[in-house]
Amino acid sequence: MAKAEYTVLGTSIPRQGGVERVIGAGIYGIDLALKDELHGGILRSQHAHAKIVSIDTSAAKALPGVHAIVTAADAPDVRYGRTYIDRYMLAKNRVRYMGDPVAAVAAESQAIVKQALKKIKVVYEPLPVVIDPEETMKPSAPTLHDDMPLPKNLPPDAKVKNVCSFTTVHVGDPEKAMAEADVVVDEVYETKMIHPQYLEPRIAAAQVEPDGRITVWANAQAPFSVRTDVARLLGIPLNKVRILSTELGGGFGGKASGITSGAAIEPICALLAVKAKRPVMIVLDKAEETISTTIRSGAKMYIKTGVKKDGTMVARTGKVVYDAGAYSGFGAMAGARCTNMLGGWYLMPNCHIDGYVVYTNKQVCGPVRGPGGPQAAFAVESHMDSIAAKLGMDPTEFRLKNTPKPGDKIIGVAKLRDVSLGETIKTAAEKIGWGKVKLEKNQGIGIATGSWIESAGPGGGAIVKVNEDGSVTVHIGKIDMGTAPRFGIPLIAAEELGIPVSDVTVVNVDTDASPWDAGTVGSRAIIVSGTATRLAAIDARNQLFTMAASQLEASPDDLEIKDRQIRVKGTPSKSIPLATIATAAHNVIGEVIGRGYCDNQAMMAEEKARGSSQPFTAHACIVEVDTDTGNVKILKYVAVHDIGFPIHPVAVEGQIEGATAMSIGQALCEQVVFDDNGRTMNPSFVDYLMPTINMMPRIETTLVHGYPGAGPYGAKGAGEIGCVPPMAAIANAIYNATGVRITKLPLSPENVLRALKEAGKA
Amino acid sequence: MDYFEPKSVREALSLLAKYGDQAKVIAGGTDVMVDIKYKEEPDCLVNIKKIPGLGAIQENGDSLRIGPLVTIHELETNKLVREKLPVLWEAAHQFASLQIRNTATIGGNVCRASPSGETLAPLLVLEAKGKLAFSDGEKTEAFKALFQGPGKTSLGAKGLLTEIDVPYPAQGSRGVYLKHAVRGAMDIAMVAVAVLITPNAAKSNLQDARIGLGAVAPTPVRAAKTEAMLRGKPLTAALVKEAAAMAASESSPISDQRSSAEYRRWIVEALTRRGLEQTWKAATGKEVA
Amino acid sequence: MNLTINLTVNGKSHSATAEPSTSLLDFLRDTLNFKGTKLCCNTGECGACTILFNGRPINSCVTLAADANGAEITTVEGLADGEKLHPVQQAFIDTGAVQCGYCTPGFIISVKALLDRSKHPTAEEIEEAVSGNICRCTGYAKIVDAIQLAADRLEGRS
Repeated sequence: MAKAEYTVLGTSIPRQGGVERVIGAGIYGIDLALKDELHGGILRSQHAHAKIVSIDTSAAKALPGVHAIVTAADAPDVRYGRTYIDRYMLAKNRVRYMGDPVAAVAAESQAIVKQALKKIKVVYEPLPVVIDPEETMKPSAPTLHDDMPLPKNLPPDAKVKNVCSFTTVHVGDPEKAMAEADVVVDEVYETKMIHPQYLEPRIAAAQVEPDGRITVWANAQAPFSVRTDVARLLGIPLNKVRILSTELGGGFGGKASGITSGAAIEPICALLAVKAKRPVMIVLDKAEETISTTIRSGAKMYIKTGVKKDGTMVARTGKVVYDAGAYSGFGAMAGARCTNMLGGWYLMPNCHIDGYVVYTNKQVCGPVRGPGGPQAAFAVESHMDSIAAKLGMDPTEFRLKNTPKPGDKIIGVAKLRDVSLGETIKTAAEKIGWGKVKLEKNQGIGIATGSWIESAGPGGGAIVKVNEDGSVTVHIGKIDMGTAPRFGIPLIAAEELGIPVSDVTVVNVDTDASPWDAGTVGSRAIIVSGTATRLAAIDARNQLFTMAASQLEASPDDLEIKDRQIRVKGTPSKSIPLATIATAAHNVIGEVIGRGYCDNQAMMAEEKARGSSQPFTAHACIVEVDTDTGNVKILKYVAVHDIGFPIHPVAVEGQIEGATAMSIGQALCEQVVFDDNGRTMNPSFVDYLMPTINMMPRIETTLVHGYPGAGPYGAKGAGEIGCVPPMAAIANAIYNATGVRITKLPLSPENVLRALKEAGKA
Repeated sequence: MDYFEPKSVREALSLLAKYGDQAKVIAGGTDVMVDIKYKEEPDCLVNIKKIPGLGAIQENGDSLRIGPLVTIHELETNKLVREKLPVLWEAAHQFASLQIRNTATIGGNVCRASPSGETLAPLLVLEAKGKLAFSDGEKTEAFKALFQGPGKTSLGAKGLLTEIDVPYPAQGSRGVYLKHAVRGAMDIAMVAVAVLITPNAAKSNLQDARIGLGAVAPTPVRAAKTEAMLRGKPLTAALVKEAAAMAASESSPISDQRSSAEYRRWIVEALTRRGLEQTWKAATGKEVA
Repeated sequence: MNLTINLTVNGKSHSATAEPSTSLLDFLRDTLNFKGTKLCCNTGECGACTILFNGRPINSCVTLAADANGAEITTVEGLADGEKLHPVQQAFIDTGAVQCGYCTPGFIISVKALLDRSKHPTAEEIEEAVSGNICRCTGYAKIVDAIQLAADRLEGRS
């Protein structure tokens, strides 16, 4: 139902682009076929850590049908990266994980590509492999990046190695406060690497145009970052590179190369196209994706909390060891987020947490759906229940006791504005039947909360062009992977312009024409593109009103648009068709083009001044544990969220449900498994277990209202926060069912049964 | 890659005789297609689906003759399989996805000889027999002799399975197929236990007890010592416990990316216990004492 | 060595050649240009490539194109009646079950086959029909809604 003051905002009009998807139109990157295209393929390292002694491509080049083979020698000696510029697009001298690209081939057919890749002779000198970040931190560990400095802010006495970045959180006097606490709980939690496992494979297609420009098609979440990388790594100016976005079959932060220096295949494809003098298309294989593209890092978290007898938390100390993978990628940012969030989102007057982001010879950390948050929440929210148990307090009461109020500060956030945490906890408790539902033997109930600050990245723009017939084309810099761009954004343009939603078309990204954007990540689509679209639509509307005002003999301020008519408020008979004014613009200003930009600095300043309007959530579930096998079945699952004003409620629910499912997967069945040589042992879906419908509970979503966010109309970002609570909610329910606290993910049948047996419960 | 669609068993056998190890037989294709894509394209692919007479399910007195080309879904929807061979039906019902069941064949599942093959532990406890055809003749072989190692059967590279003959269990028997997985049917069984018991006429003891184990040895196996220990005895809780532990000790699982050997043994124990309890109750109407 | 494959796709005859090792999925997508059926895991584990083969849902990525000789194939492109979407397609749009949409064609085929054989599918039948279809976006919640809505509409209950 739309709020009374809005026409379309708050309604769940079916998403634009739905018809193409249900009829199977060839809109995705993988559906592309360029004229005269060659197939491309990438040779990846066979060692997790090694020196490249030599690469001999002669046998491969001699194969009929091979048009180009490239190695680092064929590209400028330029690296790229995020935190550190530490990575070559094709490995030079050294490989640091088994997915590291070493060479690439363009050939007439996929079969020839395969043969050619086999014929490339790479001589490696293997180096010692390190997989565990705590091992890699030791001074005795091999050095993974000889020319990357240790972070300047490391404690002076720290004897560590291979640390990519370091974050420290310090509030008050935690040592003193901990010593004075009545009860102290000290635990260690661990999560494993998971892969975003979007269903549509990553692709890149490139062709050199007659004028020498390079066009690259990418199913990438951050097309402008791709453009930056292609230009930089090939040593060509930005205006010579054009990125065209295809529709994405999922991304989840795994198709955000450019943002993360992870697994960029676009520059490799572009280089092949240049060398082959023909268009080239690369399509990654599923197993190749799992071993090479960016992932959600595993983390080890030490967490110790002191509380008063009455349940007031007084101090927290901790340490995070966050696995960056082979290159700096997104590790620093995700690890910093994890470190801050280990302080929790409750009142915490004294706190010290050190966070180390550490290189290992494994896949690189990417901005995967809520990077750093789910890991921290697994520790924080499991730990909350451990403390509650020690105090003999109800877990919901303990959380409510420590819930902040408006104006309070929490770790990492100087001031909170509205705080929905309490309401989400109470609502989740009510929905799950906390204290009321009758639980059978081996059944348990658990709750976990979360928060997630939409990532404070650069903003983005929007352009609204008004066509002669009064319909509108919206250009934003974000792509459609089932998120805001074709759900909520069209509603915003329609609302501000007073036109039907079907008169609004949001087009895909073309870096030649679309306004710059940091990328479709960080729960920012509705906030950044939504704000920008709203301002652009208002700008367009103002231009229309200025032109219409004289004809209607009214002031622009007295005008409105309704039913495709510009009319005087209160006097509907004084009207002129929107199309007439839009067409008339040709003779005045050329065209009505509205422009808007989300000013991120202003937004952050406002959040700082008025207090953070970040979203909160509480999830709760009932599980049944099979104490013979360790299998966990989720019988009921509720997800309660404050998402501010939901511009498109079904879209918001969809994001919450999908994010929740992803973390249920991380809780129960997903992990990337390695052998001691750094080889991924479960790259395909045979053994990388994706959650299937039969193991998924019906996720019951409830939105709580009344806590406006920083986004347009009070919206908050919804894409990631659902990932934050599920692992702890399930672990807490298992604890409730069995009395056994499991501190390592996944909560797989084996891990659960082992924990039960060790506790004498099975 | 050479490709043939033989129209008779004889034609297929002469192709296999000619190509030997260089040939691969394809039925449904759900395993072989993955091999072709990700392992090796064989020199020769022999598609046996055009051979007539290999796709029927026919009652033959007190056994069911199942052609190797019968799909898992055909097994699942066949009245005779469901009524007379429920332990096999349960395996078909927990076999991957509906899409896979519509394509995969029982012959393919058998000849693939994966220790975790869904139908294999049931076929072992049912004491199925296979008709093996070679270019120089035919023989019948009990399934317990058929499986020789992971991916290996006594068919070798040149034989063809032409029929599976499954005797109906004795009157009063009850069986159950318990598949251990993380997610459910979609998983490859981490452990599989098939239990088939026959009570005596008075329903007071176990005239026969058969326990088939999948995914915990180089081939699917029968827990022979456990079976011998159980035969003739009334099933009590203590005996169930002892049998479960013994079955676990008769398994020789490995540790791999799916789970550890230790865990697999725990599951063999748990599922053997469950299997005995469930079948005893189904057969006698009573809980284990 | 190329085989000639004659088959019917969505009611129309097609004839084309392919190498023997070609999967039905690659044949449909790359040779016959039916892009609606999607490539994902390529090993029969995700259902994105689900099509109807003589009315039965199968994973086309692990089926030989050669096996489709003489078969009737239905892909997602064959469900709409001109501009009018099939009720399953419409229901997926109406309930918000389409996020990125990549799993959607596979689901729609599995669901159409389900509703063809069972007008009032039970929760168990729904699970059996689509537990071989993976979705990473929706958590399945609105997909279940879509299946129920489609069933209701096909029966005139909605």
